Amino acid sequence: MEKKFNLQKIGEKRYSLDARGLVCPYPQLLTMRALGSLSSDDVLEVILDNPPSVRDIPPALRAKGYEVSETERVEKGTWKIVVQTKK
Amino acid sequence: MTTIATADLERFIGRYSIGRDSNPLNPTESLHFLRIKVPGGFITSEQFRRVADLAKTYGRGYAEITDRQDIQLHWIEAEDALEIFSVMAELGFTTDMCGQSFSGARYGDARNIVLCPVSGVEKDEVLNGYPLMKKLSDFFTGNPDFMDMPRKFKFSISGCGSDCTRAEINDLAFVAVRKEDKIGFTLLAGGSIGASLPGPRLAKPLGVFVKPEDAFDVAVATIEIHRDYGNRESKAKARFKWLLENWGLEKFLNVLEEKLGKTLESYDGPVFLKQTNHEGVQPQSQEDYYYVNIPLMGGRLSSDAMVSLANLADEYGSGDLRLTPIQNIIILNVKEKDMLLKRLEEVGFSLNGSKLRWTSMGCASDFCGKTVRLHAKEIVREIVSYLEKQFDNELLDEAGFRIHVSGCPNNCCANSIAEIGLAGKLIRENGERKQSYDILLGGGFGQNPSLGRVIEMKVPADKLKHKVEFLLRNYLKKRKQVESLREFCNRHTIEELKSYLSSTDG
Repeated sequence: MEKKFNLQKIGEKRYSLDARGLVCPYPQLLTMRALGSLSSDDVLEVILDNPPSVRDIPPALRAKGYEVSETERVEKGTWKIVVQTKK
Repeated sequence: MTTIATADLERFIGRYSIGRDSNPLNPTESLHFLRIKVPGGFITSEQFRRVADLAKTYGRGYAEITDRQDIQLHWIEAEDALEIFSVMAELGFTTDMCGQSFSGARYGDARNIVLCPVSGVEKDEVLNGYPLMKKLSDFFTGNPDFMDMPRKFKFSISGCGSDCTRAEINDLAFVAVRKEDKIGFTLLAGGSIGASLPGPRLAKPLGVFVKPEDAFDVAVATIEIHRDYGNRESKAKARFKWLLENWGLEKFLNVLEEKLGKTLESYDGPVFLKQTNHEGVQPQSQEDYYYVNIPLMGGRLSSDAMVSLANLADEYGSGDLRLTPIQNIIILNVKEKDMLLKRLEEVGFSLNGSKLRWTSMGCASDFCGKTVRLHAKEIVREIVSYLEKQFDNELLDEAGFRIHVSGCPNNCCANSIAEIGLAGKLIRENGERKQSYDILLGGGFGQNPSLGRVIEMKVPADKLKHKVEFLLRNYLKKRKQVESLREFCNRHTIEELKSYLSSTDG
């Protein structure tokens, strides 16, 4: 199975990570790695379609001191969370 | 565009995942579980010790054997997952893919293949199912062609002539049979007793005879039919049973034979030749050797107990262990069985007791988070212990029944195919959540399979053992000369059985 995980630049200091089709723990691990590769003040949008990840990732990130927006439903079965990198 | 370094992670995608424990009522604080597939339940003492070590390091020293011969750990942290997966890869194990959490009919995988736990050592075995199980497990592991099916698919393979794998609740079951002077498999298809549509269904015999050399192709062709023709519009209609119900067996067989490019022989003999769960100490087909089946009543083990069992398997056997589909564990190739039994007693495992200790099981409802106490595994232990105090073990064995307990109506522990099935339901009493159970009676599998009938609903958990005791006292008073509890239940009306559950003079 070929998988490539890229951070898409979608605006000034704003990036998107597509974690659709992945089960736990990969969306959470990818999100952490993405955040680690960004600069301070960058914003990361994570696109998810696995409901357990949608529920688990925001509290896990908040526990690590990240600012996480409310989860937004993009379309049926797809959600977006927005994370502010640590300043 | 920035690429994230993920090579270490990508080697696990498609083979490993963790599931979610954290529903609102979960009292355990476990966020994730790890369901280690142990194909056919075959595990060596060394592998078992290493899994015990994983349990100790990452899972609070706790493990449970599931009814599909997996080992489940809890309290798994997502951030530890890659380390755990690395150890598992060394051991040659993978996990379920937990794809059913996605919305929609997608990401279904082939679940751990259930196999007769004494394959290759059972006396009078019809056919050893291990080679077929191994070939299929290897084929499906990490195979991208079978990771996005409408829903999960369950295989079972029984070679001993009995229904020790609960063939009737699998999507496709292989059961070894003899046809004239030939040995092969007959098939049952479309079983699933969960709530998904069209509702609980026992797998139906297909009336065919499959040569051992054709079995692999038949299995792959069937799962391809599920993948390619299964319903992808609705998750509720995405199990194989929906397709089979809509097509009918004849159409399914026509499509299967067309894919195979051959006609399958017919088979009209008996599907099952005997009834056994391989309980206790049994002589093996290898002269002077025995296997020792250790009852766990719910499948829970501490990591220390796992190490003890692995060490005893080395000391008294060949170091080979088997996990059973009833959440028990077997030590193989034992010569000094009496010494082993003594040593097992010393580390807390007794083989003294009724057969209920081997045949009863409960789901992991405390981790599931949809229920409150008493949880399913607690109920199993409580009822069996209570019954053994009230009745002679011989009487309990004579009645020939099993107790299957699920914490919620999802039927995870096959409560509808046990002679006594308990299905959990939360109720509110004075504003407080309380655990109750519906009582189902008369279910069974193997020869003359049947779904149990709901006899009484929402019985408080602490009343169950008394209800079961009343039923058994009525059974002992009113049974015909040679009559199992299942036969007794199935010749009485719901009203009669309700009264038998209510008092000894029902």
